[in-house]
Amino acid sequence: MSRPDPAFERTVRIFQWAIAGSTLVFISSIVLWIVHLIRTAWSLGDVPSASIGISLVAIPVFLTLLGVGLSVFWGLLRGGGPR
Amino acid sequence: MSDATLGRDAALLVPIVKTGRGFYVTVTILGLLIAWGAVAYWTQFDQGLGVTGLHQPVSWGFYVTNFVFFIGISHAGTLISAILRLTKAEWRRPITRMAEVITVMVLLIGAGQILIDLGRPDRLMNIFRYGRYQSPLLWDATSISAYFFASTVYLYLPLIPDIAILRDHLGGKRRFLYSVLAMGWTGTEHQQKILNRAIAILAVMVIPIAVSVHTVVSFVFSMTIQPMWHSTIFGPYFVAGAIFSGIAALIVAMGIIRRIYHFEAYLKPIHFRYLGYLLLVMTLLWFYLTFAEYLTGYYGSEPEEMKVFWSKFTGPFWPFFWAMVVCNLVIPLILLVRLRHHAVGKTVVASISVVIGMWLERFNIVVPTLSNPRLPFPEGQYWPTWIEWGETAGSFGLFILFYVIFVKLFPIISIWEIREGREVGVKEVEERLLTYLPDGAEPERAHDRAHDRARALT
Repeated sequence: MSRPDPAFERTVRIFQWAIAGSTLVFISSIVLWIVHLIRTAWSLGDVPSASIGISLVAIPVFLTLLGVGLSVFWGLLRGGGPR
Repeated sequence: MSDATLGRDAALLVPIVKTGRGFYVTVTILGLLIAWGAVAYWTQFDQGLGVTGLHQPVSWGFYVTNFVFFIGISHAGTLISAILRLTKAEWRRPITRMAEVITVMVLLIGAGQILIDLGRPDRLMNIFRYGRYQSPLLWDATSISAYFFASTVYLYLPLIPDIAILRDHLGGKRRFLYSVLAMGWTGTEHQQKILNRAIAILAVMVIPIAVSVHTVVSFVFSMTIQPMWHSTIFGPYFVAGAIFSGIAALIVAMGIIRRIYHFEAYLKPIHFRYLGYLLLVMTLLWFYLTFAEYLTGYYGSEPEEMKVFWSKFTGPFWPFFWAMVVCNLVIPLILLVRLRHHAVGKTVVASISVVIGMWLERFNIVVPTLSNPRLPFPEGQYWPTWIEWGETAGSFGLFILFYVIFVKLFPIISIWEIREGREVGVKEVEERLLTYLPDGAEPERAHDRAHDRARALT
């Protein structure tokens, strides 16, 4: 197989990092949103226990999913060999 | 494309490399449906929800029915695929991806129904700014987001080795797309180990997430005290219904793909038969839960409940209720009891019937209760206008179009999993079978198996 064009490879790598970055932004946004809802409920005295209870489950789930996604991204990029 | 490298699985790339007239005809028809939906939505956006059949007291009609229906169908994929993976059901290999794609596509369409139902989509921002976690609607938003993300990753990860095959075998404009999405996959032992571990973790995670999604969807109804909604079994009832409709949708997709792309060698009658048996079990479970739900209401004879009850059994909603019973119980029972012959045709027909029946079930849950509310509103009837019909047609069109585009870009049957089945799976099954027997040997260490798997795939 012919050697891949370095410029092509670089562009590919930039897009791959962009995907990983978007994933990070997406999950972080959701987590921040949940935290914002807790703060709002807390400041209004509007049953903050409900928000805290749900976020105790939701935030770790989102973070675990993010961790799995990013570990695969990092592991595949680092662990590749010649084609 | 090199047929020699791909061997007998080269046929799986045919939908990607060949574009027949049928593809353009399908896309045109779907485009017309979507255009109808777009015109309907624009009319509603411009003139307000008054152009629909929604009014007081029936403020939820087709949109919420579609929402519950589509979210239910999403259980086709990730849940079924994850269960089959974890239980090492070898017959899963050609069908898991089809199921996973359904999940991701319908979640998008399902969540979109809420936007349509809002009438004023700009008010969606209020959820972000002032959302209150006391509302089950927000539990829905959270669990659907988690399910969508988990399902997308769960679809994508097992796709990576196949994307690498496409990257290495196909030239042209798509090579860049495949190179990006392949994430540098070369099939080393290290990469294989990471991928397998991630797929296993996700398979475990998506099952409770999927169950939570439809449980929470049911809470939107059951947390109110509306007649025939305020029920403790609504959670499991919705989850069972979702798995039921999900299996049916998967079988329909398998039937269509098998027919169009001539994948008879991959999607064999035995796959339809096994899924047909699962569908039969779910038919009986659905009937059991429906019976329990209606008998409890009937036995209590609470006046408000009975108004809804009789409106379904003999009142204005009787055609929908009894059509639901025929589609979800009678037809599947007749067709699925004996699957020794014509398994493909029988399961596909039964599944089409179940898909229709489950849409009717969602309609029967949403509309009759709102037509006969507990509060002293006057009773109301709901007649959808062309707006709701258009948006429903557009939603189905969009879902099928997404699916068609996916099939055009990626292998709808996992090439590497089929190969792995041939090269590693057969040996594994034999070893596993021996360990089940009284004088069987201990199973091989996981590390050795991973090594074998990586060697087979590289």
